[in-house]
Amino acid sequence: MSGDGKYFSTTKKGEIHELKEELRVLDKSRRKDAVKKVIAAMTVGKDVSPIFPDVVNCMQTDDLELKKLVYLYLINYAKSQPDLAIMAVNTFVKDSQDPNPLIRALAVRTMGCIRVDKITEYLCDPLQRCLKDDDPYVRKTAAVCVAKLYDINPELVEDRGFLDLLKDLLADSNPMVVANAVAALADIRETSTQDLLVLTNQSLFKLLRALNECTEWGQVYILDAIAKMQIKEAKDAESIVERVVPRLQHANSAVVLSAVKVVLLQLPLIADEAATKALIKKLGPPLVTLLSEEAEVQYVALRNINLIVQKHPEVLSHEIKVFFCKYNDPIYVKLEKLDIMIALANERNIDQVLLELKEYATEVDVDFVRKAVRAIGRCAVTLERAAERCINVLLELIKQKVNYVVQEAVVVIKDIFRRYPNRYESIIATLCDSLDSLDEPEARASMVWIIGEYAERIDNADELLESFLEAFPEENAAVQLQLVTAAVKLFLKNPQPRAQQMIQLVLTYATQETDNPDLRDRAYVYWRLLSSDPEAARAVVLAEKPVISQGTATMDPQLLATLLGNLSTLSSVYHLPPSSFVTRAVHTPAPSLDNGALLRERTATDDGAGSSAGVSDGAPSPAATAAPQQSSSLIGDLLDLDISDPPPAPAAAAPPPPSVDELVEVVNAQSGKGLAIKAGFSRENNGPVFLLQLANGTQQSLDGFMLQFNKNTHGIAPTSQVVSVPPLGPGETAGASVPLTVNPALINPAANPNVIQVAIRNNQQGVLYFTSACKPEILTAPAPSATPLDDFFGL
Amino acid sequence: MGIWISRLMAVFGEREARILVLGLDNAGKTTILYRLQVGEVVSTIPTIGFNVETVTYKNIKFQVWDLGGQTSIRPYWRCYYPNTQAIIYVVDSSDTERIGTSAEEFHAILDEEELRDALILVYANKQDLPGALDDAAVAEGLNLHSIKNRDWAIFKTSAIKGEGLFEGLDWLSNQLKTRKR
Repeated sequence: MSGDGKYFSTTKKGEIHELKEELRVLDKSRRKDAVKKVIAAMTVGKDVSPIFPDVVNCMQTDDLELKKLVYLYLINYAKSQPDLAIMAVNTFVKDSQDPNPLIRALAVRTMGCIRVDKITEYLCDPLQRCLKDDDPYVRKTAAVCVAKLYDINPELVEDRGFLDLLKDLLADSNPMVVANAVAALADIRETSTQDLLVLTNQSLFKLLRALNECTEWGQVYILDAIAKMQIKEAKDAESIVERVVPRLQHANSAVVLSAVKVVLLQLPLIADEAATKALIKKLGPPLVTLLSEEAEVQYVALRNINLIVQKHPEVLSHEIKVFFCKYNDPIYVKLEKLDIMIALANERNIDQVLLELKEYATEVDVDFVRKAVRAIGRCAVTLERAAERCINVLLELIKQKVNYVVQEAVVVIKDIFRRYPNRYESIIATLCDSLDSLDEPEARASMVWIIGEYAERIDNADELLESFLEAFPEENAAVQLQLVTAAVKLFLKNPQPRAQQMIQLVLTYATQETDNPDLRDRAYVYWRLLSSDPEAARAVVLAEKPVISQGTATMDPQLLATLLGNLSTLSSVYHLPPSSFVTRAVHTPAPSLDNGALLRERTATDDGAGSSAGVSDGAPSPAATAAPQQSSSLIGDLLDLDISDPPPAPAAAAPPPPSVDELVEVVNAQSGKGLAIKAGFSRENNGPVFLLQLANGTQQSLDGFMLQFNKNTHGIAPTSQVVSVPPLGPGETAGASVPLTVNPALINPAANPNVIQVAIRNNQQGVLYFTSACKPEILTAPAPSATPLDDFFGL
Repeated sequence: MGIWISRLMAVFGEREARILVLGLDNAGKTTILYRLQVGEVVSTIPTIGFNVETVTYKNIKFQVWDLGGQTSIRPYWRCYYPNTQAIIYVVDSSDTERIGTSAEEFHAILDEEELRDALILVYANKQDLPGALDDAAVAEGLNLHSIKNRDWAIFKTSAIKGEGLFEGLDWLSNQLKTRKR
């Protein structure tokens, strides 16, 4: 020890120490310089949290600049020094009463940004004061702070009545305060269950009045809030529309979109038809204006317009030209425009649209061209009178013999045939010419369908089909299915020996050679129909098909309504309801803890302690936990002996496979000498688990639960034999989830693949045996024997 | 020019001293601080954190730190110990029940290495309240006489009435002056 300690107590103090010294000097300007140095160090990413108390000590100062710097430091480091942050509270309290409103607002804003539980409670009084401050700037800052506080501690906000104060601010005289209160309430509502923006006549008018006066982003908040309100009275709707319509002319595209949303939502309430028409007319031009912005904004606008025109095509029906693609539009804009063009196409403008689409179909971008061809098809399907013109365009395109255009055209022509049966069959000859160029499954399947459907009109239908059948085994499944159907149709329409030969060939292959169950089943159905009653077969196979509608192109009306309510948000850009991509913790007591959550909780807390406790109870050697892999195989062998001797439960009595969160009773209280066990397999945290629910019906406390699987088809075994449940008192129930792993050494291919034999023991009752149904789906992890089931079938 | 004057002032004796006001919660620390600074009784709330004010008295600029006395804050007093010339320890003389706790905290402070050279000034506060212990009793309660090798003094004060506070500061400034010279 003679002096080596000196190497640890270096005389160099370093930068932090220097800063500390400088922060302690009495001279104000030197102290300020020191704080500036600290902030500079913080900004470049150095950890200056060790001098937290010294910086906080500089907080009480008349110097606004210094104060701001210290506040900045606090926001950054309060979280890493939660205990010391309490020393700043008194200064916040003082600053929130400062004569200077800027300092009051600064204090309240900083308080909101410090997310430390320990001090939130102390900050409520200042916040309450600031919510009633004379200065609007302070009030609006406090309003935002309430939303932040709600995020940390909702109960506190509710207990202190901040929500009511916030609601009072909706009626504030200053529009900026109103806008921020609305924003805060909207923010809180996202995580709260109660509806905070309940509308009264008065508050609505206050909001509408504030709308004209506040900043553009404030307007967006207010408009979005109005959009979320449940307006019921036509009178209210009219006054909203009257106030909101001028916002459509705003330069900010967010304001425009939000205003459009509000107006659209009020439309159903307005009874006067003339007024509705006038309103709809007013919505068009602002939306068109959005398309003169840069491409990204255009895209957002187009996604929203896409939704609007699905509900109200009349808004933009005269403006279709705006949606014609420019040569230099980015591809994502072009694709969106195409969708809108289709939605807006009608008999008046179809010629124009077709001309455009035809042009697009000759462009270079393959995706775009394909979509253009599909668009022509969709126009044909939706507009009956234009169908012929569409087909002519398609034929012209086919004649150009561009491979992917032809293929796409074949697919859409099939749709047109389904829509207008027996009308345009004259073009089949043209289609057949380009038969050889089809190499995509969808196009081939479509073509085969056409040949089968119109076999009687195609002279050489049998030849054509035969050419397809040559490569039958190599075809894509979709094409194979179509070929089987087409062959049957051909035979029924034209029962010649050649067709018969063909059908035999196809059905034989499809029933015997293939391993595709769909194909096999379809072939069997046909075969049986044909062999038992050809007339029935004719009735089934050649039945009149229902006419298709535009099906795929339209959206579920309910979803559309949701999305229209969320116009001008991410949701309307994704075309997904917010719930599908926003995960927010909602501050409500969960309705009931489901099994899985309960189990997860338990394993999280008990993992470490539970396993060691189990070992001390005795049964296996301590090595069991140290090296569960090896020892588990050992014990597995032992249990194997036990189990194979007296079969504990007949496999026939095995329970059906449980769904993920549904456990099946495997041992009832009678057979388990008082212990009832429910069990099932599932997946948790990306790995297979065995879920157990143990109900102790005995008069004693049970502990030391351990688990072992017999060798099984999948080779699955618990990673640890110890079941982490606390000692189970009489009448108590506990759940556990035991992580599973696949161990190739434990594979027994001869075992029943659907059940796993399980042994469970405890210190009081000894060993119990049961079987549990196991689905191989739980083993989707990439393990060496992840597909043992296939191996099993292979044997 | 300004720097020159301030240097001159330093030569002629305007000194600065860092003083901590400590004591249990509700002892009257914040009231004393503002009584010293603005000469008025201000209404206070429990100090969660600290107050710092500058009080100039007898040519000495006292930088007075009033730290909160709550149990939760006491552990952080130590952050303020370095470079401290004097401690004003405030005792609520009417709170006879907690005088023992107060004594414990007091002696813990005395044992602090960083406060080895600090002067100790004790205010037996709230003398205006009936049943308040007098200075001798408080000194007894705090076991002041066991302090050997350092300077200390105790004064009867009433922050509400403004009595005794400046007598204490007089003692402090005299001590500081003799010590520096």
